Amino acid sequence: MKRRHNPILTFLFAGLILLFTGGPVVLSLIGSVVPDRILLNSDAGLFDEGINFETYRYVFTGELPSGYLTEGANRAMISDAARQVPRSLWNSTVVAFAAMVLNLLLGAPAAFLFARYAFPGKKISFLFLILSPLVPTVALVTPIYMSLQAVGLVGTQLGIILVHTAKALPFTVLILSVFFRKMPAELFEAAMLDHCSRFQAFTRIAVPLALPSIGATGLFAFMLSYSEYMFSMVLSGDAETRPVSVVMAALARNTDVSWSLLNTGIFIAIVPTLLLVALIWRFVVEDLLGGSVKG
Amino acid sequence: MWSINRFPIAWLLPALLPVAFITIYPIAHALWTSLHQVMILFPVEPFVGLDNYKRVLTSDYFIDALRNSLLFTVIAAPSVVILGVAIALFLQRRFFGSQIIRSIVLLPWVLPGAISAVLWVWVFHPSFGVLNGLLMNLGLIDESIPWLTSPKLALYAVAVAHVWTQIPFAVVLVMAALASINSEVLEAGEIDCRSPYKRFRHIVFPELKAMVVVLLVYNALTAFTSYDLVYAMTGGGPGTATTLLSFQIWRESFSMYDFGAGSAVAFIVVLISAALIIAITRALPSDLFAKEEAS
Repeated sequence: MKRRHNPILTFLFAGLILLFTGGPVVLSLIGSVVPDRILLNSDAGLFDEGINFETYRYVFTGELPSGYLTEGANRAMISDAARQVPRSLWNSTVVAFAAMVLNLLLGAPAAFLFARYAFPGKKISFLFLILSPLVPTVALVTPIYMSLQAVGLVGTQLGIILVHTAKALPFTVLILSVFFRKMPAELFEAAMLDHCSRFQAFTRIAVPLALPSIGATGLFAFMLSYSEYMFSMVLSGDAETRPVSVVMAALARNTDVSWSLLNTGIFIAIVPTLLLVALIWRFVVEDLLGGSVKG
Repeated sequence: MWSINRFPIAWLLPALLPVAFITIYPIAHALWTSLHQVMILFPVEPFVGLDNYKRVLTSDYFIDALRNSLLFTVIAAPSVVILGVAIALFLQRRFFGSQIIRSIVLLPWVLPGAISAVLWVWVFHPSFGVLNGLLMNLGLIDESIPWLTSPKLALYAVAVAHVWTQIPFAVVLVMAALASINSEVLEAGEIDCRSPYKRFRHIVFPELKAMVVVLLVYNALTAFTSYDLVYAMTGGGPGTATTLLSFQIWRESFSMYDFGAGSAVAFIVVLISAALIIAITRALPSDLFAKEEAS
């Protein structure tokens, strides 16, 4: 952009965007390191007692924060539910990673065909993939729950993995086909001359060359699974296997949990997603924006 | 682009089958269930015709829930699109820290809905919320406003949180569309057109139009079927002020175990969603499907 902009206005807008999108997250960081009695007391300054990481220590080690031991009356403001957060992060990571791998295995071949070949039924099947995310999730929950129950997958991580995989597949195919289409056609023409089969052209040329983009698309699928709530909740079983979105929702509705403890849970859950945001932005979005998206 | 004479089943089926499993099958299943009396405790499932629909349509919550859902959609969807386009246009600028802001804008996207809900409860809390604190300190209000517990305001407050969670996706897609505009067209526009507004109106917007329609359809559907945020923030209250139609699918099926009625609501939601898609694409004609064909 060569146009010159008023720097003050630019920074004003930037500040507003930052405040709107990042503000609530900063609030939770502050909330997690300040005890409730300060947080909920409008007379005391926010950082009068300094910051402390007692709630973090509780979540990871189970050691009760000193404040909860002395204030007998407020003793109820703590709950074991918060201690499920680290465990649920791990559960979510396992589920999301499995969904990501399945997405790439199932989606990449289809994306390759959509990007490079014309075949009968291409238009209708592509349209089907594009339009399928438009079916409202809430309408899907009951039938999927009942059919998974029939095969005994309710309450298992496998059930959640399957549904998350299917939910992310249309996006995976769409994004990957954009990447495959951006690769120079000469490469594949050369492969054809060398009597490469279609499968060899895919595994020996397309996949190795697109590996960074494939990884990035995988992250996207990972993230979709990681933040999905409804199926995670309906299909998850006991506390041991619950994904983070379900644990956080339960924590948020649990009136026994103090604000600072809740915010601690939130912030611990946010940290992996912060990393993901950085990675996704760096690899997926900048990549997609770099080339022509229309292909 | 090479052609294949027959439909490449081995390449496409792994991707198409799971997607069909979570779209076509559930819709058919919802239709079947909605016409039968399906209670999880009774083994027989007699055909009851439209009884479930009749019961749902005449129940005391239906009109309220439908009105709330439509109002929610009408507030949220255009707000997401307008803000998304505005932020995307702004992020085209390069300035100190622009990369950081580009990343932070993505943040709400990867947070599970339950976490976003808690963050916004924290903002809107009547006595300890940041928003009330801010407005009071600025002297704009004298007493705190009960954002989430007032029947008049609760739906709007929830809509703000919903918009917050949907903006990143809109920003990314609009930026992708902006990046694919031919730079020569833009340069010609710079010379011919002095006013930035006219430039946007006549040069940039026509290129964005298809994407804006897609976003509007997508956001109308996500808003109309949104569930987790509202549930976690207000639980449908106060009274029925934030009870949404999509929430009722959940309540009928998993709280009352009346899967017949739940499926009836679900099918009504699917029908209204289809009507929304058609209405929006008719009202804002675009060459959307021609473009998909070309890709």
